[in-house]
Amino acid sequence: MRVPIEWLKEYIDIEVSAEEIAKVLTNIGHEVEAIERFEDDTVLEVNITPNRPDCLSIFGIARELSAFFRKPLRFPEIYLTEEKADEIDFKIDILDPDLCNRYAGCIVKGVKIEPSPPWMARRLEKCGIRAINNIVDITNYVLLELGHPLHAFDLDTLKGKCIRVGTPQSVTGNQTSLITKTLDGIAREIPSSGLLIWDAEEPIAIAGIMGGLDTEVKDATENIFLESAYFNPLSILRTSKVLGLKTESSYRFEKGTDINMLEKALLRATFLMRRIAGGEVYGKLDVYPKLFAPKTVILRYRRVNSILGLNLSKDYVYDIIERLGFEIHGSDEYFTVTPPSFRVDISREIDLVEEIARIFGYDRIPSELPKAQIGFDDTRERVAIAKNNVKESIRTSCLRKGFNEVINFSFMGSQDLDMLKIAENDERRKLVKILNPLRIEDSYMRTTLIPSLIKNVEYNVAHGNRDLRLFEISKVFINKEKPIEGVPHKDSILPEERTHIAAIFYKEKTKTLYRDDIHEFYLMKGVIEAILENLKIDNHLFVRSSEGFLHPGQSADLFINDIKIGFVGTLAPFVYENLEIRAYRPRIVVFELNLDCIIQFSKKDIIYRQLSKYPYIERDTAIIVDSTLESSVLRDLINQHRSDLIEGFYIFDVYQGDNIPKGKKSIAFNLRYRASDRTLTDEDVDKIHNALITYILEKTGGQIRT
Amino acid sequence: MVEEIKERFFEDLNSAEDLQKLNAIRVKYLGKKGVLTAQLKLLPSLPPSERPLVGKLINEIKVLIEKELSSKEAFLKEAELKKQLLSEYIDITLPGKYTPFGSEHPLNKVLAEIIDIFIRMGFSVEEGPEVELDYYNFEALNIPKEHPARDMQDTFYISDEILLRTHTSPVQIRGMIKRTPPVRFIAPGKVYRCDADISHTPMFHQVEGLMIDENVTFSNLKGVLVTFIHLMFGQDVPVRFRPSFFPFTEPSAEVDMGCILCRCHGCRVCKNSGWLEILGAGMVHPVVLENVGYDTERYNGFAFGMGVERIAMLKYQIDDIRLFFENDIRFLRQF
Ligand SMILES: [Zn+2]
Repeated sequence: MRVPIEWLKEYIDIEVSAEEIAKVLTNIGHEVEAIERFEDDTVLEVNITPNRPDCLSIFGIARELSAFFRKPLRFPEIYLTEEKADEIDFKIDILDPDLCNRYAGCIVKGVKIEPSPPWMARRLEKCGIRAINNIVDITNYVLLELGHPLHAFDLDTLKGKCIRVGTPQSVTGNQTSLITKTLDGIAREIPSSGLLIWDAEEPIAIAGIMGGLDTEVKDATENIFLESAYFNPLSILRTSKVLGLKTESSYRFEKGTDINMLEKALLRATFLMRRIAGGEVYGKLDVYPKLFAPKTVILRYRRVNSILGLNLSKDYVYDIIERLGFEIHGSDEYFTVTPPSFRVDISREIDLVEEIARIFGYDRIPSELPKAQIGFDDTRERVAIAKNNVKESIRTSCLRKGFNEVINFSFMGSQDLDMLKIAENDERRKLVKILNPLRIEDSYMRTTLIPSLIKNVEYNVAHGNRDLRLFEISKVFINKEKPIEGVPHKDSILPEERTHIAAIFYKEKTKTLYRDDIHEFYLMKGVIEAILENLKIDNHLFVRSSEGFLHPGQSADLFINDIKIGFVGTLAPFVYENLEIRAYRPRIVVFELNLDCIIQFSKKDIIYRQLSKYPYIERDTAIIVDSTLESSVLRDLINQHRSDLIEGFYIFDVYQGDNIPKGKKSIAFNLRYRASDRTLTDEDVDKIHNALITYILEKTGGQIRT
Repeated sequence: MVEEIKERFFEDLNSAEDLQKLNAIRVKYLGKKGVLTAQLKLLPSLPPSERPLVGKLINEIKVLIEKELSSKEAFLKEAELKKQLLSEYIDITLPGKYTPFGSEHPLNKVLAEIIDIFIRMGFSVEEGPEVELDYYNFEALNIPKEHPARDMQDTFYISDEILLRTHTSPVQIRGMIKRTPPVRFIAPGKVYRCDADISHTPMFHQVEGLMIDENVTFSNLKGVLVTFIHLMFGQDVPVRFRPSFFPFTEPSAEVDMGCILCRCHGCRVCKNSGWLEILGAGMVHPVVLENVGYDTERYNGFAFGMGVERIAMLKYQIDDIRLFFENDIRFLRQF
């Protein structure tokens, strides 16, 4: 809200600078966001929190300052004589007293529509409101001054000398909506529960939100019906939301106006009309079916101190509450406090504690670390620590392997799954749909992290970044078709949230200083192996992948204990067709793993194994086998033949070409033997090694390469 | 005669350029068929009176030759090694062959720092779902349906009852339901609001904090948050608390710290105020405690929340929030 200092000083005498006023307002909870200078004035831009509609006016701000500075408050001049009250032939009828607790009005005759006087136009302008004509301006002026919205109707356009306040339902008896044209010229559909103002025949305004076009004040208007009412905040909020129409007036009504200010605002406006537009004021009508009943609140002053950590005296607390305009009665232990009608936000003891804190000053409350007890649930903590350790271990593995961590939005579109040709019955099609997405491409929560990573690669390549290793650890969201039965807890309708880790590798083929021609698949598989090794998981298995978007020959699914944990592989050629990567046959390798699953399988306890004191003996062997034979066969055969003496096994060469028959390949591997209790002799090793090789050759149909 | 041998030896020695030639010289003078051996063989033919003297001379020269040879050998060996090493010189100014370590995302880096500080202050870390029930996100936090405060947050909805959490505050509720006081935890995570412009992204990160116990005061709230800001941004950073409004805390506070960019003199980032908004906080509203079944007469506490993006932007002087989610590696590698 904009507060011109010159205007503010009409209600309170304070001899401090605009900066000082700004500081005080900020310190008592009305943050001054900007100070704007004019030739003859300074305007404060004040941010009023939604719980304080009473401060949405210049007078309201003055009232706060008056409490803080202990300065008297001046109420503006109002019109009090009601000389022609008995001459009115006009009726107000409230059909929905729950939605309209009070409705008052005045008839002003013989006004002359003119531009407002410069002082008024200028004040409105400084507050960001355009001057229109004296009558409309006066209603706006009083709105800014006292915070109470008013509406002026052209009396001569009203049919039947009456005002009715009701919803279409209570007026017509039907549950149908109706169309009415507001003064901005737009035809609006009012729901049957939306509160309207009617004359004898038809709706003339949307209550508290906007007036109608036909009854608005025009240049030729002579007679006015001026409305000042109290509308139910919730009713105004609902209608304003349905219509998508927010006005200065609706904003104040929906937060709660001061039902007692209503009358003063009306009299203030009629005073100004008489003075500025030369009207003759007829006595006011006031229908008040639901009398305002103030609530009392009990305040224990000890409670104030125990919540704030202060040691304020009873008198001090009493003084602050009283200064704020509350009625207060004291006893030894507690006060009975009645908030004024403008303080719609006060209903509990804690609300008063806040009042004391903000007037006392937050900055004067000492800061002191708590003397706390330790509340420790070791079962929960153990789970949390284990989970965090695994996550951090995986993150660290990726970082050490040169992968840059990314964070993407959790959204995706169905086209992202189409791009990967994810099957209709795939779990990743169990989508969580957002009803109001910002973009259609962001309509769903991610079920896989791969599409985002592909986009990251595209973006980076477009910006000249050629060597990309990226990874992300984020949640994916799998919709549940229906709530799990028999689970009464509401959480059962929420989707399943899983933590995934995914990575992508793409390197543009460029000439490099050093040879670096490893197939990207092995690099990525190596990262996974490093992750698993770090977590002491050794019962995993890579098998050819069933993922349709991966190259069938260069991809693998990872299993642990027969559970699929994820996949690694080169993207299938069709995926590249839609990408903005210009390289010839680019090769992008990705992996995605379910981190929650990995956590389950990670070994919690590490038990040290003794180091052998005896020397080892190595044997290198090369065998020629069918070129389709996979190295895992070899590994499995060695495992089956497991001897306690085999300490290690690794493949150091796979070769096809000269000296090897067509359709065959040579695999060369190293085996290391060692005993834990004695020194092995060459004879010992020859015996075991030869038996093992014979077994391998027999099973694979291979032969020794000589 | 012996003098002649000596002279010739030194001539030969001087002309020896490598170990091979040196060896030839050794053979020539000290070998079985060498010059000195030949001279020794002549000894018996000399008159007996001359023999001791000549023998002595020959021995002397032999010692001399051996000494000279071994010192020359050492010299040549060193020269040869030098030559070999010289031939093995490489261009040490070429870049090393390495794979740089990856970089942590700046948001996670800052998040880790925040979490570390609170863990040191005795807080544990709690998680909650990102797709959340309206009840936890709003209602239990004293924001009933149609409460005007819902307008403050533009919500992504999944259904009437389900939404993307707009803040990490629902974890407060879930955390309290699971525990009995004393309760002390923080809840970091992603939150969502349907809002996108220069300073807003539809997804961002928050850290929520909660402490419930007997005798927890607003003064304690100040103590914890001032300590946090001092650890995060420096011991001399001024901190300001001012009243604000959140439906789930009362009294509520906005916490500002002195602008670390202009040292409180006023700049573009702090909109010339010298202050930067950094945290929202307050004493947990009794309605919230009642909603989780806590005895409000016995227990109270405080809650606070902060935006991780905001803190990272201030810490690294990043001027555009969107950079965090573009994931340009030229940006990522800086952290
Ligand atoms: Zn600054």
